Amino acid sequence: MSEEHKNLTFYEKLSEKIESKSLKFILFTTLAVLIGGLVEIPPFFLMGSVQKIESVKPYNALELAGRDAYQQEGCFYCHTQVIRPFKWETDRWDRNREYGPEPFSKAGEFVYEHPFLWGSKRTGPDLSHEASLNNNASWHRAHLMNPRETTPGSVMPAYPWLFESKLDAAEVKSHMRALQTVGVPYTQTDMDAADELVKGKTQGDALIAYILKLGRDTMVVK
Amino acid sequence: MKEIQYDNQIVRWWVIGAIVWGLAAMLGGVILAFQLVYPELNMGLPWISFGRLRPVHTNGAIFGFTLSIVFATFYYAIPRLLKTPMWSSKLSRVHFGLYTLTIVLAVVTLVSGITQSKEYAELEWPIDVLIAAWWVIMGLNVFMTIKNREEQHLYAAIWFFIATIVTIPILYIVNNLSIPASLWKSYSIYSGSTDANIQWWYGHNAVAFVLTTPILGMMYYYLPKHSRLPIFSHRISIIHFWSLIFIYIWAGPHHLLYQPIPDWAQTLGMVFSVSLIAPSWGGMLNAFLTLTQAKDKIRTDATLKFILVAMTFYGMSTFEGPMMAIRSVNMISHNTDWTIGHVHGGALGWVAGMMFVAMYYLVPRLWNTKLYSEKLAEIHFWMATVGVLVYMVSMWVSGITEGLMWRAVDSTGALQYPDWIEIVRTLKPYRIARALGGTLFLSGFILMVYNLIQTIRRKGQGFVPVDLREAASK
Repeated sequence: MSEEHKNLTFYEKLSEKIESKSLKFILFTTLAVLIGGLVEIPPFFLMGSVQKIESVKPYNALELAGRDAYQQEGCFYCHTQVIRPFKWETDRWDRNREYGPEPFSKAGEFVYEHPFLWGSKRTGPDLSHEASLNNNASWHRAHLMNPRETTPGSVMPAYPWLFESKLDAAEVKSHMRALQTVGVPYTQTDMDAADELVKGKTQGDALIAYILKLGRDTMVVK
Repeated sequence: MKEIQYDNQIVRWWVIGAIVWGLAAMLGGVILAFQLVYPELNMGLPWISFGRLRPVHTNGAIFGFTLSIVFATFYYAIPRLLKTPMWSSKLSRVHFGLYTLTIVLAVVTLVSGITQSKEYAELEWPIDVLIAAWWVIMGLNVFMTIKNREEQHLYAAIWFFIATIVTIPILYIVNNLSIPASLWKSYSIYSGSTDANIQWWYGHNAVAFVLTTPILGMMYYYLPKHSRLPIFSHRISIIHFWSLIFIYIWAGPHHLLYQPIPDWAQTLGMVFSVSLIAPSWGGMLNAFLTLTQAKDKIRTDATLKFILVAMTFYGMSTFEGPMMAIRSVNMISHNTDWTIGHVHGGALGWVAGMMFVAMYYLVPRLWNTKLYSEKLAEIHFWMATVGVLVYMVSMWVSGITEGLMWRAVDSTGALQYPDWIEIVRTLKPYRIARALGGTLFLSGFILMVYNLIQTIRRKGQGFVPVDLREAASK
């Protein structure tokens, strides 16, 4: 053994074994990065950790088109849809006391959310309970057309173009079929209702219908 | 001895690409910052309204600007560290072509509102397929180069590059699995809390394996090359590399504290996030201890200054991040501007700082000439540093202010600020300060671009590495 080799520390000796063996190195790296994910992800599928809430129903065709518009405009970059279990959050977003003794977000509310839209930034307020807090469709229309008209000082963009963009029933139905594939239980009746629901409506109308669906199914007091 | 022919042309392309994407992404960021104060700035145009421009800014900065310099470094440093040219210079070019197409498609689709709505994974499925294709091409090219290497020993920089090449596809593919409804619309196969968990497993490790490991690899290459000093400790490199890549993967759920995912997952996320301080600071210390050997050079050399400040910001961000991942701190910081400040401390201070190091190192060598102006580089350094600081401090104040206003109650226990808009109005001055900090940073970037263009115009005059100590003593 060379003099140099004797002076190496424990870690260096360990590392020396793979520092010149590229395949081993790549393999060990892969193993190191896989472990955390293997512990944290599969239990979500295996443990059935989501408690179902019976009253939660999928979006109808118009509401789904509204959700697509919500995605399209990136609304979730500034609005969250998840209420944390703090009094100051539930006081703010359940001020009408309509969501029972635990008025914060629960996993069962999101079983049909592909993808989830919880967001990570509250530049504007949380929208989880908008059906309870403000169910005035014409207010929402005026607000989307120009937020500063209903709320002076608002920094939200205006979305007039959503009210010029007509919906296409065939497209909405294709979206519903894709969601069926990932597990949303749309029935034939839901699909058939699409034409009537979407007819003559704009993306803006759909977005309002979506907003008014947020928190509607989980209201305890109606 | 036979001289090895390295492919410098491909590295030049990546550097030029990085300049273009960097300018676009940062200009987008400045526009967004001003839009958050003056929303009319989108001039009624859908494609530059906040929600569409934001992913262009984030994807442009991360996958456009940063990845371009990371790839420039791959194609420059890997062959030199292995004393072997790239396995296939044709594949290098295919990679560059497909990548550039990806970025163009990304910009066009994102401003059109085509998005999967998952942060840093917004791009729709056809672009995901394209990305997977060039990632495999790049990975194959790098791994075959490693296989054919003349230098047996794999240097620390290469370890970090390998970690990125291996991990990104795992994260990217799992998180992007979706069912297409049409060419430009798909739905995630996961729902609700499962989707959230997978998204942040991906999202946090995009930070780890795009914005951290390759940048540490760059530090391990450019710092010793530029300062002509050996890395302080090989042992620290070993320990911090393996612990960093192992621990990082677990930290994702800290994005979901107090949200409806199981408690055990939240706690794992928090514990591993706090543990991340150790390997992160290991890397920082290794750089600092190397730099202490070059103290006299730091005073006169903008590139070394950038390394010093980048490592300082790395240390700050990797301390701040774990703190924010603790439940009781996260309670206040989550969803606020503080997070944005934290991200930019890392992205501008650390990542962009190291990007500048790479550019100042590469451009004179690639075009075989001298840097046009050391003085301008020095001014750029100060503009960038002050810019980030203004940005970060204003976001700290703004974030903590809003976090506290959300929870403030009066003597009766009722919310003190029930009207949301009152909070928005309070934050206005800090958000203006943030936009100005960003503008200063962008101006510094533009100055660098001018400096680099002037350098490139003087190409072929011969590159001579300057001994900075001599320059100082004159």
